Amino acid sequence: MAMIENVVRWIIGFSAFVAMILFFVVLMALRNVSRSIETNAWVNHTYATREEAISVVSSLNAAEAGLRTFLLTGNARDRLAYRQAFSDLAEHVDALKALTRQAPEQYRQVLGMEQLLGQRAELAREALRIRQEGTSADLAAFLAHDAGEEAVHKIARQIDLFCHEQGELLSQRDRAFFLQSQTTRWTVMIGLGLDLLLLCGGAWLILDDLRAKQRVTDTMRQTNEQLETRVRERTAELAATNARLSSENLERQWTNQALEHQLRYNQLIVDSISDLVLVVTKALNISRINPAVTHLTGLSAASLINQPLSRIVRLAGSGEGGTRRDPVAQSLKEGHDLRGLAAFVEDEHGRQQAVEFAMYPLRDRDRVVGGIVTLKIIQAGTDAGA
Amino acid sequence: MKRHILVIDDEAEIRELLGQFLNASGFLVTGASCRSEALTAVQQGRPDLIISDLQLEDADGLELITALKASCPDSPVILLTGVLFEPGVVQSVLGAQGVQYIPKTSPLTRILEVVRTLLSGDKRAL
Repeated sequence: MAMIENVVRWIIGFSAFVAMILFFVVLMALRNVSRSIETNAWVNHTYATREEAISVVSSLNAAEAGLRTFLLTGNARDRLAYRQAFSDLAEHVDALKALTRQAPEQYRQVLGMEQLLGQRAELAREALRIRQEGTSADLAAFLAHDAGEEAVHKIARQIDLFCHEQGELLSQRDRAFFLQSQTTRWTVMIGLGLDLLLLCGGAWLILDDLRAKQRVTDTMRQTNEQLETRVRERTAELAATNARLSSENLERQWTNQALEHQLRYNQLIVDSISDLVLVVTKALNISRINPAVTHLTGLSAASLINQPLSRIVRLAGSGEGGTRRDPVAQSLKEGHDLRGLAAFVEDEHGRQQAVEFAMYPLRDRDRVVGGIVTLKIIQAGTDAGA
Repeated sequence: MKRHILVIDDEAEIRELLGQFLNASGFLVTGASCRSEALTAVQQGRPDLIISDLQLEDADGLELITALKASCPDSPVILLTGVLFEPGVVQSVLGAQGVQYIPKTSPLTRILEVVRTLLSGDKRAL
């Protein structure tokens, strides 16, 4: 999630930067277009001013020529011509003043020209008055003294100077316009180039990010597959373990019931023996009897358990106070059996029954822990072997 | 398809333990506690193998096996015996009748081994 936010942030940042550069380029272009329009207007204005100045010179020359012609001929048609020429001259001067009104220096020059032209007009009026009132000689003398050609040349030089200055301004403006156009071209090219580079960089970053995401996705998919495999293996192991434990549990129950079954049958076999069977400890105390013992002696198992064997069994010949060693204890100590010994069993009333005594050591592995005594009843008339 | 085994024993615990073990080992097990149940089970569906106790309350196992063999002579038989029989003697007597003897004190895995061997038809592996 954080990775996606970073990418979105990068894209937004790139887009904002590219848009800012584009905005700057557009702003520069608009500004240059506006400047071009202003420059064109200025150029047109300058050319118009220059044309008007040239027209002033032309009108002046035409007016001077018309005036002299009329002074010589006095013809009405020539008078009309020179008046028209002076009228055109006045119009051109007014137009020139209007064109230069916003430029104080140029306007001042135009006013200077107008003053010279005014002086020239005064001389023309004086010449006309002399022609009407004076003689031809007076007029000739006036014209001879008139430095008209020089005045006209002076005006023409001023106008030429004015036109030259306007031409210089046009040249400067042309150079400035060229530089401005170059600047605009380079600004637009650099801006567009930079945008292109940034867009390429952004595209590369997005592609790189997509590849990184793909790698992360692949890694996660592989991790998930490995995890699923491990889970499946673990589940199979658990199922196998469970099956093994169940099998072992059943086996254990089967073994227990088999042992119980075997024990029960063994007990039945022992209990069904008519001979007396007693289990004794190594100290010759009774630890277990079969039902035949109770049947013969009349004593209960509870009264005999943990009692010495000698309470109910005595070997023949082991009289009171005898010094002979007890063969039963000796047999248990040495770990061998006794067979065919004559003995007597005493019941609860003190009556004695002759029996044939046998004892087998009871072993727990190699160690003798007790003995099994069997007493076979000797019927009347049978020799007890004593 | 699961192989069908008929377990005959008058002790419910033995039938249940053997049934669980053989079921877990992939067999279909039917239990019978006496002669009549065993004969009914055989009539309802011939088993692929019979496991019977040798000493039942209401019948002698050998006699019962003879009766069951009449209905399904091809089904191998395993007799489970307890301490009442001398293993060597029992095997010599029963082997002649085509019956396999297993002491009840044998582990379940041994019983399963004998079952699979008999069902595969290869008695030499016993």
